[in-house]
Amino acid sequence: MTNTGQLSRRSLLAAAGFAGLAVLTGCGSGDDVGDSKDLSKKRNGAMKKYNAGEQFKATKALSFSVLHNNNPTYPRKQSWLFWKEVTKRTGITLQPVDVPLSDYEKKRSLLIGSGDAPFLIPKTYHPSEVAFVSSGAILPVSEYVHLMPNFQDKVKRWKLEPELDSIRQSDGKYYLLPGLHEKPKSGYSLSFRTDILEKIGVSLPTTWDEVYDVLKAIKAEYPDSYPLSDRWSTNTVFPAAALLSYLGQAYGVRAGWTYENITFDAKTQKFVFTGATDEFRQVIEYLRKLVAEKLMDPESFTQTDDNAVKKLLAEKSFAISANPQELVQKYRYNLERQVKGAKIEMIPVPIGPAGEIVLGGIRLENGLMISSKALKSDNFVALMQFTDWLFYSDEGQAFCKWGVEGVTYTKSGGQYKLKPGISLMGSDPKAPKDLQKDYGFFNGVFTYGGSWQLVSSTFGPDEKKFQDVMARRKQTPIAPAHPLRSAEQEQASLWETPLTDHMNQNTLKFALGKRPMSEWDDYVTELKAKNMQQLVDLHNKAYERYKKDNG
Amino acid sequence: MVSIQTPTRAATTVTGPTRGYRVFQGVNAVILTLVVVVTLYPIINIVARSLSGEHQIRAGEVTLWPKGFNLTTYKIVFQDGTFWRSYGNTVLYTVLSTAVAMALTTIYAYVLSKKDLRGRTFLVGIAVFTMFFSGGLIPNYVLITSLGLKNSIWAIALPNAISVFNLLVMKAFFENMPAELEEAAQIDGLSTYGTLLRIVLPLSKAVIATMVLFYSVSFWNSWFSAFLYMDRADLMPVTVYLRNLIAGATEGGNAGAAADQLTQAAANIQSVTIVLTALPILAVYPFVQRYFVSGVMLGAVKG
Repeated sequence: MTNTGQLSRRSLLAAAGFAGLAVLTGCGSGDDVGDSKDLSKKRNGAMKKYNAGEQFKATKALSFSVLHNNNPTYPRKQSWLFWKEVTKRTGITLQPVDVPLSDYEKKRSLLIGSGDAPFLIPKTYHPSEVAFVSSGAILPVSEYVHLMPNFQDKVKRWKLEPELDSIRQSDGKYYLLPGLHEKPKSGYSLSFRTDILEKIGVSLPTTWDEVYDVLKAIKAEYPDSYPLSDRWSTNTVFPAAALLSYLGQAYGVRAGWTYENITFDAKTQKFVFTGATDEFRQVIEYLRKLVAEKLMDPESFTQTDDNAVKKLLAEKSFAISANPQELVQKYRYNLERQVKGAKIEMIPVPIGPAGEIVLGGIRLENGLMISSKALKSDNFVALMQFTDWLFYSDEGQAFCKWGVEGVTYTKSGGQYKLKPGISLMGSDPKAPKDLQKDYGFFNGVFTYGGSWQLVSSTFGPDEKKFQDVMARRKQTPIAPAHPLRSAEQEQASLWETPLTDHMNQNTLKFALGKRPMSEWDDYVTELKAKNMQQLVDLHNKAYERYKKDNG
Repeated sequence: MVSIQTPTRAATTVTGPTRGYRVFQGVNAVILTLVVVVTLYPIINIVARSLSGEHQIRAGEVTLWPKGFNLTTYKIVFQDGTFWRSYGNTVLYTVLSTAVAMALTTIYAYVLSKKDLRGRTFLVGIAVFTMFFSGGLIPNYVLITSLGLKNSIWAIALPNAISVFNLLVMKAFFENMPAELEEAAQIDGLSTYGTLLRIVLPLSKAVIATMVLFYSVSFWNSWFSAFLYMDRADLMPVTVYLRNLIAGATEGGNAGAAADQLTQAAANIQSVTIVLTALPILAVYPFVQRYFVSGVMLGAVKG
């Protein structure tokens, strides 16, 4: 579809460049400008035939550089089995460039900006790749996915095309190879002190109305407490970012840290401003009710995570946002030691007016960029095949996550089990070895996405219960592609920050009762004064344009 | 410094301090006490946390005095190879970089202090120019890389070898030195280098001690150039290690970071590492401080 148009323009450009060069130097044959689509000279070390499900093995020993996000929890060691085994299986030696996790983005920009970037640049979260598109330093990978059979196979089987469309740029290409998930994996929800609920004789809530009732019942028993005191309000511009995100989901709207200024309204087939929608207002009204009736701690929107957890441990609150790790490692672990008989459990995201849904688009995870320099290398095809195997084949994914069968894990009936003596994230505190620290597997740099079987293989019992319920819910449709051009992008970001700020400030004011809900229309007018409509129009224009250009 | 000034001022008045002056002193005392509290509290708090039980830290009970005293975390950190390797790197980088910086700064400052030097204004000018304008991050990075300094200690030592502020302080100090001393030395047959090494430097201990302190503290605390120019974790100084440790512990709740990749680094591991990192500097300061005060003042007053 796009390719034919692109190709002719490309080759025209190449031809023009070639001619210009010939005129300038008087001898054009020395320089290999060539058509970047012709990969026949870049097959050094590549397999002639490489199909999905096949083991990749380079025909020659090669080495590729990779940016390595060095996690303090499992600092990189050269002695990791991971490195050796990669070389053994594929013939490729990975050369990691260590970057401390604390400043990964900074160094990544620097390396890309100075033209010194490694070939593989993993741990890139969309849309951070957009900043590098115009410089040409990042490969438009969508042009080369035909070299990646496993990637294509997964996209097709799991019907991920709409998701991929959402990360396309205005030239119709995408520059990021994202992690692909078979099923959406949810992260956050509410957790409750179940022993308290038992004591007062209420059961765990399943809808937001029931959440209200349960909080009310707790309040009746403990009038001095705030039943809900929440966290995840720091390190993010959004107040109560987690709570708002899953509460918003129940109303079918992106809020909290999933917030985006622009939302696609399926009814009118147009983009609208999220913070001014009716659903968004309902979300705020719900919170306002909780705060007004003192069911929710007003400090929830500003306090640090530590303070919120302290209140939970001190029994000043009985409900808090959670993810499965925090639930087990922080809340339950500490509660059990500090409060006698305390039990805490996480519930599936309560259901709201939008029904049993999860927000679409979460099946793409962070992924990797490939440096444009790689295309100039003779080993380019081998690089793409290797990337495909390591990041996208079932075998490669299982290897990155669990390691080597018989050495680090055993598998029977689809169940993965760590070998005795190996621990993963505290699963066996007495084990002498750790899968991440000592073997280099389950490393965030190389592990993302995958089949539901693989993803769920590491769930603890709590998470499994949670994810199984969540995975059955329906995904909302994904917004159609509407990429902005780079000048538009700049304009949009100038408008977006003040708009997001204003939305956040007023979310707080409305929720805390400092501004009457009757002023909602005034708030929308204020947004309009901050170029809300222009931003919406810009996106609608881009949407129309993309539809026209790309059918 | 205020405590030095107060008695001399007070002594000049015959009828005792005026009312206004006493108010001034009172306000001063209050403000300075506040400054001391604000400065000391975090340090004491961190030390107390580093010696406390994890329980008590989580419960927020630790303020000034350790609760649930234990040294387990110190034992854990002491056994951590990465910590010690980073620590060794920091010591190495600091010592070498300070030596290089001192050599270059002293020579440059000494030359600039000579009034009869031709092109002196220009030489001062190009140094001062770099104080206000820099090439920027990416050009600097490209420069260091193409000089082949990446992943070597020189990437840290050379670009930061001359701090213009330190250079100017030293220059002012050398300018204040009586020219007659050097003239006498020259008459007695000393070369330029001989004069510098045998006459000028031995008389400049105060300013040298101050500069060594300035440089070594800044190299000890710096993390950015190592972060920029080092590609391997085993070359990183302890500051980068610490920064990463703290980021790893706080980033757990970020929506972006895959939460299951990050387990919580205990609050007291951070405190222990902070204490161990700051300790050498804290220990050295009191000993160098007397030079420090005189060294800074010496360049300041010109007769």
